Amino acid sequence: MRAIKSVLLTCDPAVKEILISMNEKNNFIIEDLDDYHLVIKADEEYRVRRELEVELEKNTYSLET
Amino acid sequence: MDQDFSWLHLKPDHASRPLWISPEDGHIILEAFSPIAEQAQDFLTAISEPVSRPAFIHEYKLTSYSLYAAVSVGLQTEDIIEVLNRLSKVPVPESITSFIRERTLSYGKVKLVLKHNKYFVESSHPETLQLLLKDRVIREARLMTTQTDNSIKAATFTTSKAPVKGNLVIPGTAKEADKKKDDGKPAAAATDADLFTSVVGVEGDEIEEDDENVHAFEISDAQIDDVKKRCNELEYPMLEEYDFRNDTVNANLEIDLKPATIIRPYQETSLSKMFGNGRARSGIIVLPCGAGKTLVGITAACTIKKSCLVLCTSSVSVMQWKQQFMQWSNVTDRQIAVFTADQKEKFAGDSGIVVSTYSMVANTHNRSHESKKMMEFLTSREWGFILLDEVHVVPAAMFRRVVTTIKAHSKLGLTATLVREDDKIADLNYMIGPKLYEANWMDLAAKGHIANVQCAEVWCPMTPEFYRQYLRIQNRKRMLLYCMNPNKFQACQFLIKYHEDRGDKVIVFSDNVYALEAYAKRLGKLYIHGGTGQVERMRILSWFQHSPQVNTIFLSKVGDTSIDLPEATCLIQISSHFGSRRQEAQRLGRILRAKRRNDEGFNAFFYSLVSKDTQEMFYSTKRQQFLIDQGYAFKVITHLDGLDKMEDLVYRTRDEQIELVQSVLLASESEADLGSDVRAGEGDLAGTVTSKDFGRVPRMPGAQRTTGSLTALSGGAHMSYVEQNKSANKKLAREAAPRNKLFAKRDKEKAAAKKAAR
Repeated sequence: MRAIKSVLLTCDPAVKEILISMNEKNNFIIEDLDDYHLVIKADEEYRVRRELEVELEKNTYSLET
Repeated sequence: MDQDFSWLHLKPDHASRPLWISPEDGHIILEAFSPIAEQAQDFLTAISEPVSRPAFIHEYKLTSYSLYAAVSVGLQTEDIIEVLNRLSKVPVPESITSFIRERTLSYGKVKLVLKHNKYFVESSHPETLQLLLKDRVIREARLMTTQTDNSIKAATFTTSKAPVKGNLVIPGTAKEADKKKDDGKPAAAATDADLFTSVVGVEGDEIEEDDENVHAFEISDAQIDDVKKRCNELEYPMLEEYDFRNDTVNANLEIDLKPATIIRPYQETSLSKMFGNGRARSGIIVLPCGAGKTLVGITAACTIKKSCLVLCTSSVSVMQWKQQFMQWSNVTDRQIAVFTADQKEKFAGDSGIVVSTYSMVANTHNRSHESKKMMEFLTSREWGFILLDEVHVVPAAMFRRVVTTIKAHSKLGLTATLVREDDKIADLNYMIGPKLYEANWMDLAAKGHIANVQCAEVWCPMTPEFYRQYLRIQNRKRMLLYCMNPNKFQACQFLIKYHEDRGDKVIVFSDNVYALEAYAKRLGKLYIHGGTGQVERMRILSWFQHSPQVNTIFLSKVGDTSIDLPEATCLIQISSHFGSRRQEAQRLGRILRAKRRNDEGFNAFFYSLVSKDTQEMFYSTKRQQFLIDQGYAFKVITHLDGLDKMEDLVYRTRDEQIELVQSVLLASESEADLGSDVRAGEGDLAGTVTSKDFGRVPRMPGAQRTTGSLTALSGGAHMSYVEQNKSANKKLAREAAPRNKLFAKRDKEKAAAKKAAR
């Protein structure tokens, strides 16, 4: 068993589902703990955060200026 | 863009002045809490277009069209600048003054008048007419009239006195006008001047051009379109006015408002904009749903007293208009006619009213013999007045056809929501006319003309199971998933329970029929959608109106416009037509005319249930924009207090939720369609769901062939089933209890007496 540097993510169930679907494309989840907690690879953290941001932004309406 | 305007110097007494003007784009920001904000608002609505009007800070925008409208109601360039300067915290920027001068210089200086059935181009500035006549197109269209006088001016133009409003009184405002006449002023000048003297404090800036002479030349009917177009290109757009009191060619229509009819102050204001100088102007009046647009239209017709054509969007509203005309005015049955797919009538006599739909009139092909004849009747005559209901929904092409085939002296457009998803609003400006009046929703609510509404958006988190499927599925079924979200179900159940306990009558809207049925069946409530039969529908509606036991009904898109339920005081929206701002406003309109609106401290409630982290959030925010601009604030509710403790909460356990997700996944993709239950009737505009007789959507069960024994076919094979989720519709008593003989007899006698009296 090799040790992997990882990060504990706390999120709500919906975000967790988004992460799981992102995980299908490219694997970064190490352990699915419960509805609110995930352990992910530490070096993927920023990429994941960025992609998640993009995903959530899709559902926000902003006034065109 | 550089947003730093600190170089604009505040006037020393800026604190008492209510507005700023942006030198770049003509936006005006008004402090709505200022003591003189009300007068300032009156002025600003006259010269600019309201962009957004929440509680404290209003935003207006100066546009070419708004200035055009300002000139058309009789404002003068210098007055506009003068008043703006008085109200503004900063000196009016040079860019804005020159913009106003430039626009108002040309706008409204030329008028197109139909007099004795001849078109005249009219202006009080002879030099403008000279300028127009230098243009080839216009010169060729001009009809020469022989003149005996040889002086240059008289040879060029016919000169006459400008019309004065004088004794024109809009019916229903009689008392008001009388009082003003006693003061020795013409009514119009008084109302308009009031507004300004109160702000400006200058007497004698009379808006009416009372004693000026007007000059005119005649142009031929055939070239009227070219001239209009050419004038627009020359930046001298023509105002169209109708001098109906001096029209002796078209027969008068003897109609009047019934004496008991009283019109409200804002309706009067809107009409005074239309009849400002004793002539009828063409334009658009914007009033919220439930604020009595119909009455404004009827009053206008009663003022003009000429033949009138009313166009609306569907055959149901045709009947409503007719009924409203009968109710408010003394028009007789013989004078009012209906032209729809089923009914083709003509009025008796020389003049009358015809009510029809846009598509009936604009249709160019496949006409039955009868409708062809009817169209000939419509096009052959000249109409004094054409009333266009719900102008915002009519496609531009259809509109153009209507406007060109029907010869009308004046046009009035009515609408509640001057927004279009395709932003074709600007087209209306030149096809009908400028916006004459736009009511402030918040103002009307404060005065009790429409109900106070609390708006809220309830965020329901998706359950993990639903969200997983939502992410996986990419087609339209996603929508079913966010509609059927168990958390939404629970929120809906909770809100219904909460409001029923308060004594509210609740309407739940769902565009999606699948979700509608699922919710209604599960929660044991009555529902109406396109497939509900006429008799059943009437029964359900009357139970909702009269029975204290039925406090909630579920409605599909059919309820958006055609069903009028003044009992309803609370509205819950579970699925809707994407980002349609118009639908949101229309739905809000369902509770604006709540019967109980004048009770002390009464509030109506408007909830949108939204599934979090889905597209619905996007649409929901978009939908709200129109109402937000009208000053409504949406509260966001993320947690409903007491939801967990509620008894018999649906879908509480995970098992049930998973079962639900399975059943949604089994549903076919077509179930996700919106408004699939509604079929437009012949002659209805596409997309307007106002038809009451939507007819059943044919859903033929496919034929099946099976083999089996006779025992099995007759149900003897020891299988039985019980329907668990019965629709609550079926539980209603079939018919209302028959009336007692005593009352029935009395009713009959009453009816007989009425008949005899006639």
